[in-house]
Amino acid sequence: MSTFIVNGEIREVSDALTVGDLLDRLSVSHQTVAVMVNGAIIAREAFATESLHERDAIEIVRFVGGG
Amino acid sequence: MSAPPETLLTDRERVRRLLALPGVRPGLAERLAASRVAMVGMGGLGNPVALYLAAQGVGALTLIDPDQVQAHNLGRQILFAPSDVGQSKVNAAQRALRRTAPNCTIVTHETALRAENISDLLEGSDLVIDGLDRAAPRMILNRWAVASAIPVLFGGAIGYEAQVFGVRGGKPCLYCLFGELQGADEDCVVAGVLGPVVGLAAMVQASEALKMLLGTGQSMVGRMWTYDAFSLKTRMVSVPPRRDCPVCGDGR
Repeated sequence: MSTFIVNGEIREVSDALTVGDLLDRLSVSHQTVAVMVNGAIIAREAFATESLHERDAIEIVRFVGGG
Repeated sequence: MSAPPETLLTDRERVRRLLALPGVRPGLAERLAASRVAMVGMGGLGNPVALYLAAQGVGALTLIDPDQVQAHNLGRQILFAPSDVGQSKVNAAQRALRRTAPNCTIVTHETALRAENISDLLEGSDLVIDGLDRAAPRMILNRWAVASAIPVLFGGAIGYEAQVFGVRGGKPCLYCLFGELQGADEDCVVAGVLGPVVGLAAMVQASEALKMLLGTGQSMVGRMWTYDAFSLKTRMVSVPPRRDCPVCGDGR
């Protein structure tokens, strides 16, 4: 179990070693989201390889396209 | 000397409360009256933004949309009446806006935004409001925003969620955040949309547009505002530029 700050809230998440793992645990689609880890944007191609660490601050923004 | 026409007196009065705001200097009414804002899309975002900008004394609006009013639009596209169904959105919006602000100059283009016509349609605008409902033309608008350095306020809403993101010349731009956005289009037909939630995104766009035109307050350029009415969560996320962004990055 790791502790992250996800969208400003403290979350305990199990088995989340990478950004991709975290999105899967949170049931968030990889296709239409932007992810920032400690203020840096993570490219979608790097979701599976970008490692997460205890207390990382993660912002997940879903593209909202209607209008 | 004869009295000024009633509409001119009204226009002087309509900006009185705006000009009383902290950080707004007297004389800025002329700047608003000399401004042109382009609305790309006259749907759930474009309708309320245009209404507020006209009401607040913006001198000229360009309305761009290829579509006709449909009855299922009426829940959130608040400039339209049942009698407008089947008619051009930009023409119906122009009629409604004339009632609100008779002296606002309104130019209409009943056409879709494409890479080939975007420069002609948007040139001369001081600011652009994204009221599109598809990812592909948004990416065309984003590329133009980076190249032209004219500010664009991107907006979106679906379901219970709304968001607004400001771009001015890039670093960051919409591509830094979301990449290609292939297959990103969710359909309001399937997902539904709460009418006033689209209006919330539009009101953030309208407020930020007026602040930019007046040169007051913190800028939303490079920041993403999001609101989820279902869970009552709101965020303002600062977006860093991506140096490898193919649209606005170092290597483009």
